[in-house]
Amino acid sequence: MKGTAGKAFVVVAAVLSLVMAASAGFAETIKVGVLLPLTGSLAKFGEIEKRSYDMAVGEINAKGGVNGKKIELLFEDDTGKPDVGRSAMEKLISRDKVPVITGGYASSVVAATAPVAQQFKVPFVICTGSSDDVTEKGYDYVFRVNPPASEYPNAVKSFLQGVARDVKTVALLYENTAFGQSSSKSFEKDAKDLGLKIVVKEGYQAGAIDFTPILTKVKAANPDMIYMVSYVMDASLLMRQSKELHINPRMFVGGGAGFTLPEFAKSAGDASDYVYSATLWVDTLPFPGARKYSADFRKKYGAETEYHGAEAYATMYVVADALKRAKSLTPKDVRGALAATDMKTAFGPVKFVSYGKKTQQNKLDTYMVQWQKGELEAVWPKNVATKKYIYPTPHWDRRR
Amino acid sequence: MKKNLYQLILPAVLALLPMAVKSEYFLHLMILFLLWVVIGSSWNILAGYTGQVSFGHAAFFGVGAYTAGLLFQHLQVSPWWGMALGGIVAMLIGLPFGAICFPLRGAYFALASLALGEGIRHIATVAEGFTGGMMGIMIMPTFTSKAPYYYIALGLAVLSVLSIRAIINSKPGYYFVSIREDQDAAASLGIDTTLYKNISLSISAFWTGMAGALYMNYMGFIDPNVVFSLHDYSVMAILVAIVGGVGTIYGPAVGAFIMVAFQEFFRTGFFGLFDYLGKATGSPAFTALSGAVRQAHVLGFGILVIVVILYLPNGVVGDWEKIKRNVFRINPAG
Repeated sequence: MKGTAGKAFVVVAAVLSLVMAASAGFAETIKVGVLLPLTGSLAKFGEIEKRSYDMAVGEINAKGGVNGKKIELLFEDDTGKPDVGRSAMEKLISRDKVPVITGGYASSVVAATAPVAQQFKVPFVICTGSSDDVTEKGYDYVFRVNPPASEYPNAVKSFLQGVARDVKTVALLYENTAFGQSSSKSFEKDAKDLGLKIVVKEGYQAGAIDFTPILTKVKAANPDMIYMVSYVMDASLLMRQSKELHINPRMFVGGGAGFTLPEFAKSAGDASDYVYSATLWVDTLPFPGARKYSADFRKKYGAETEYHGAEAYATMYVVADALKRAKSLTPKDVRGALAATDMKTAFGPVKFVSYGKKTQQNKLDTYMVQWQKGELEAVWPKNVATKKYIYPTPHWDRRR
Repeated sequence: MKKNLYQLILPAVLALLPMAVKSEYFLHLMILFLLWVVIGSSWNILAGYTGQVSFGHAAFFGVGAYTAGLLFQHLQVSPWWGMALGGIVAMLIGLPFGAICFPLRGAYFALASLALGEGIRHIATVAEGFTGGMMGIMIMPTFTSKAPYYYIALGLAVLSVLSIRAIINSKPGYYFVSIREDQDAAASLGIDTTLYKNISLSISAFWTGMAGALYMNYMGFIDPNVVFSLHDYSVMAILVAIVGGVGTIYGPAVGAFIMVAFQEFFRTGFFGLFDYLGKATGSPAFTALSGAVRQAHVLGFGILVIVVILYLPNGVVGDWEKIKRNVFRINPAG
């Protein structure tokens, strides 16, 4: 048995030395590490983000790259698991010696890899992973473009204050995931601040096949508003079954995630009409390049993009901008340049600031969208609205 | 004589490794490998030697990890104390479970263990106030360097394998094997089968819990889906043992090495070999191949397991003679 181990070691060592020899030959590019789930259950979002990173780098390199050097992306598959993500992070830092790392989708992977970046003092620009505590640890090598999960419902809160003032009771349904639980917790707090009463609060296992028991409870409580944090299949099933059960709150609101995807409208059919959702981005927002990004994405890949893709696209520009301004390409100088970031991107203005317990966190507005006749329209705040909101939601019987 | 020499050289090499190898990445893979040695060996004493196949070892692993994490979260106790307690708490979970479920035999025990793992995962998910739910527990790892973790993992691996070997070669070990071979015969000889099954389970749960506590300390983040994962821990523990050799002392260690190396090998596209060939030859075929290989690691696992079951039903260690004969053409008989 020791013989096998020995032989395997020799093979591994031989392959390693080959690869190291290989990496020496291509020194003209700036290498940027990207950590994404390219296989496994989160691969769909990993794919959208990877394509967006590729697109952004293609554009940057076509315009002459960074100070004459081209950027080369080293994608590492974290498979959505923390220990694999950590292997990938360690590899990027100690083998590839990249000056900066970006990506990071799943909250668990980000939580396990951010301390590694901090310990090795290599800047990590997190694109998506949204659990709050990652930017609450005072890590000075960790930056986040995405707002933390607790801020996703901000626009909903201002809508409740500005328009839906007659909403007094709320039912809160959420999937039992990091995203679902942290969003629901922060919404609960917001609801308390607004003086709303939570009449039903139910977590469910993501991928449920029947929501009738939960929805029956909701119907009995007859809330003014139903707030749901769900991915796409659960989201459409929740709406279809709400229609079957004739649940008529004044508004249905989704907490981002599944409710903004085109697949939601397709699979829920007309039950998706008038449903609101919190979101971080739509391409109709007045940001430079937002519309062009989604049009180019459609043209290049023949598929729709959404806010995760826009985030990845913008994050790449943030990283390139920092590399351009950095005094040298050492991780330390790149970190310094990142900290001084102040730019406008297709995802909105990006600047890493400290507030509350958070450090080096980008502060972003959130928005409300509403499905109207199968189209996703921005409705809140008013200055970015593409259509006026329809409130309250029409009764199921009175819809045509 | 030759065998004794090996037994001295291998630990010496492993002990000196962090001084010779400066790559943190390589050490990280070695730590994962050592963790799997512990988990695989623990699963093996219960399933391989005592014949009680468990599909729920993630429960013990996760409970160990959560012991360390929760102590820190609620009481600000260093998670290293959790390491001391992780194994014991896992054992305490195992005891009532064993007492209730060991009257069940064969597939029924396996199903009960599956339910244990999944049940605890649900509890950890839903008890948000106590466990933090799916938001998990995050701590800052104590050491910047990998070497301390490596030595602790190495110590854990060596101790677990040696203690299991000592037990297997002692009287309880023979009891375990007799229960595996024929429980009724064992009972008729006066062996308290439920008691010895529980002893085997306790040892198994203890070491798995220790591995879990080390995981918390080392990785710095856990959530229920990570440490109670049916696929990533319960099933991987079985695969590690099957590939290495069920019911052999060193089988799980070999299996752990193969599985960790295999996963990383695929994930990185044979350590970047195809990417290199693609660049060196300018042929897009290699680059495409690299992408395909990276995406195929789950498929690769499946094929590996099928091959092992078909051709090496006793695992690499269990069928070592067969490998020597057929692959290396060494025939001890002549």
